[in-house]
Amino acid sequence: MNTIELNKVRKSYDEFVAVDDLSLVIHPGEVYGLLGPNGAGKTSTLRMMIGITVPDSGTVSMFGEPLRRAHVERLGYLPEERGLYKKMKVLEQLVFLGELKGLSARDALQRSQQWCERLGLKDWTGKKVEELSKGMQQKVQFIGAVVHDPQFVVMDEPFSGLDPASAVVLKDAFIELKNAGKTLLFSTHRMDTAERLCDSICLINHGRAVLEGDLNKIRAGYGKRNVQIKYEGDSRFLKDPKIVQSSNDYGNYVEVRLAPGADPQELLKAATACARVSKFELMEPSLEEIFLEAVGKANA
Amino acid sequence: MPSQSLRNTWLIIKREYLERVRQRSFLVLTLLLPAIMIGAFVIPAKLSSMKSSTKQRLVVVSSTPQFGEIVRQQLLASSKSEESSATDKDKGDKDLDESTPGRDYDIEIDANSSDAERAVLRNRVTSGEIDGFLWMTDDAVAARKVTYYGRTAGGFMGNSWFKDQLDRAILLRELAQRGVNDTQAEELLKPVKLDTVHLEGGKETKANDRGMFFAVFGMVMLLYTAVIFYGVSVMRAVLEEKNSRVMEVLLSSATATELMAGKLIGVGAVGLTQIGIWIVMASVYALPALAASSAGGEIHIAPLTLAAFALFFLMGYLLYSTIYAAIGAVITSEQEGQQLQFIVILPLIISVFMMGPVMHAPDAPVAVWTSMVPFFSPVLMYLRIAVQPPPVWQIALSLFLLIATIAGILILCARIYRIGILMYGKRPTLPEIVKWLKYA
Repeated sequence: MNTIELNKVRKSYDEFVAVDDLSLVIHPGEVYGLLGPNGAGKTSTLRMMIGITVPDSGTVSMFGEPLRRAHVERLGYLPEERGLYKKMKVLEQLVFLGELKGLSARDALQRSQQWCERLGLKDWTGKKVEELSKGMQQKVQFIGAVVHDPQFVVMDEPFSGLDPASAVVLKDAFIELKNAGKTLLFSTHRMDTAERLCDSICLINHGRAVLEGDLNKIRAGYGKRNVQIKYEGDSRFLKDPKIVQSSNDYGNYVEVRLAPGADPQELLKAATACARVSKFELMEPSLEEIFLEAVGKANA
Repeated sequence: MPSQSLRNTWLIIKREYLERVRQRSFLVLTLLLPAIMIGAFVIPAKLSSMKSSTKQRLVVVSSTPQFGEIVRQQLLASSKSEESSATDKDKGDKDLDESTPGRDYDIEIDANSSDAERAVLRNRVTSGEIDGFLWMTDDAVAARKVTYYGRTAGGFMGNSWFKDQLDRAILLRELAQRGVNDTQAEELLKPVKLDTVHLEGGKETKANDRGMFFAVFGMVMLLYTAVIFYGVSVMRAVLEEKNSRVMEVLLSSATATELMAGKLIGVGAVGLTQIGIWIVMASVYALPALAASSAGGEIHIAPLTLAAFALFFLMGYLLYSTIYAAIGAVITSEQEGQQLQFIVILPLIISVFMMGPVMHAPDAPVAVWTSMVPFFSPVLMYLRIAVQPPPVWQIALSLFLLIATIAGILILCARIYRIGILMYGKRPTLPEIVKWLKYA
């Protein structure tokens, strides 16, 4: 039984089509990344998944049934920008959110306290939200999304605007939830974050899915066609179109994408012929490259 | 799942209510407003009713000393009697149409009515030795043209009191000259006291004009104040949630209608709490005075009127707050909200303008039909009930329309709310809003 399944979902606001025939499947217990540049339709998609908006056409089903109000109780949601009452005290706020999700006042209090302790907010529970730093507010927001122990947690850009330390704390909490068997879905425009955390992804652009599925399989499909070279000297070797499809040259460091069918050894030979090479490494394609290529294909 | 709906609504009401009541600004406003009211009304009233520490020194110039004495007695007696009648049951009537300076007088009679004496008296006024003098020679009295020379003009109210006393003194003298003795003269000059009897369903109730006046205007003022104060806070609450995107989190837990209803009732309850506190404060403060002045049932408000007051006040409050909430859902900043406030203020002002015609002819078709219009009925139907209870079906119909409108606007608002909050940027145009309503 899939945690959530979108089937040919479409949503437009006036003339603007935000989500266009999008289909995706999220399996229980996986970490799923919804990726894409700003304005790709990520937030619009998430909103339909949690029942804030209704698709114009297509279906959303959760836990194997068409999305109903009762399902929403079993999910947690973290919006992109801080969605907290600024003047409300941290603990009261969390208890309120927990109660709205169906917890008893007592359970809501107990769990909120436990979470605050775990994320290092223990001394801040009596403070108003507006007195907290952005990172701490994001932690509060995170607790608000998970306090009722949901099966499925939906997060819109959870790592945006976080300092590195807070990002690590949040990432750890993330992994903890994953290990506890929860299904996690998050959106991001940062491919590197997604690359490290996700089991599966959906890349969207202009409201359409460009790539969807298991990340490792997607990667494998693209093969090892990337090379990182550290060099000193002439960069003429990058000019041979038979070997190099494209390159991103930083002066003494270059990322090369091999032309289809080209042998990496050829490139190494060409490079050493005109420059001193201190590093030559064959790489799996980064998600960013996959994305750029997929988008390029889709647009072509 | 109605029980879950109720639970969510209740949680939202509770949060909204507690958050607001606990804020320092709530306490400050609760205490400040009565303080301002006392400052604005009670203190000046107290001050003006306080006797000035010094006596007013007057000189009455009369060619006939006996007449001068009558005037002196009249002025002294009247200013004294005013003092002693503070708790008199007539006072309630008196203080509206007559105002006495409430001062002690030190009155000197001067029989010398020469021009030289006038110049001397003028100098005494200028030097501050006396406060003023009355120039009422026999000629002047015969011509009914008396002049008061004083350092202060005496104020309009003071003048009219003064003039009344002089009229009375002249009348008393004239009567005495025609052989009427003092007791008879008092008898003759006894003023009329007008009682009006209000017929309500065949039963008579005691004079009601002032009570009705207070009941109706009190309600309108209260409604207006409450709508302005708390309607705006409903609007702000919606706007704040929108801007901080709390709404998205809440919408993933509760429906827009639950949120909307919870917010309205929560903020509404805060307003009612505050008004309740004020009413208690006011009654503790004013009840003894009121009881003293209205002994004999001067201010009588029928129980039906009181019930209608509570009912129509609540309805009006709810209706206008709902409109404010919708404004909050549509706008993106408070400035925009101010531009749209006329949507709320206009019907209230029209209601106030309609009060006159409705009060004079509560049965006229225009009164009957305007009191059915939900935006006016909180004021106008209530007014009709207070003036002359209309047929039950009319009250029922107007209430039904009012409740239906509130429910309708609530649902409509929940829709705008739901869509509007998810749209950012510029304020939507009317066609866009209509479109949104279709989306939800």
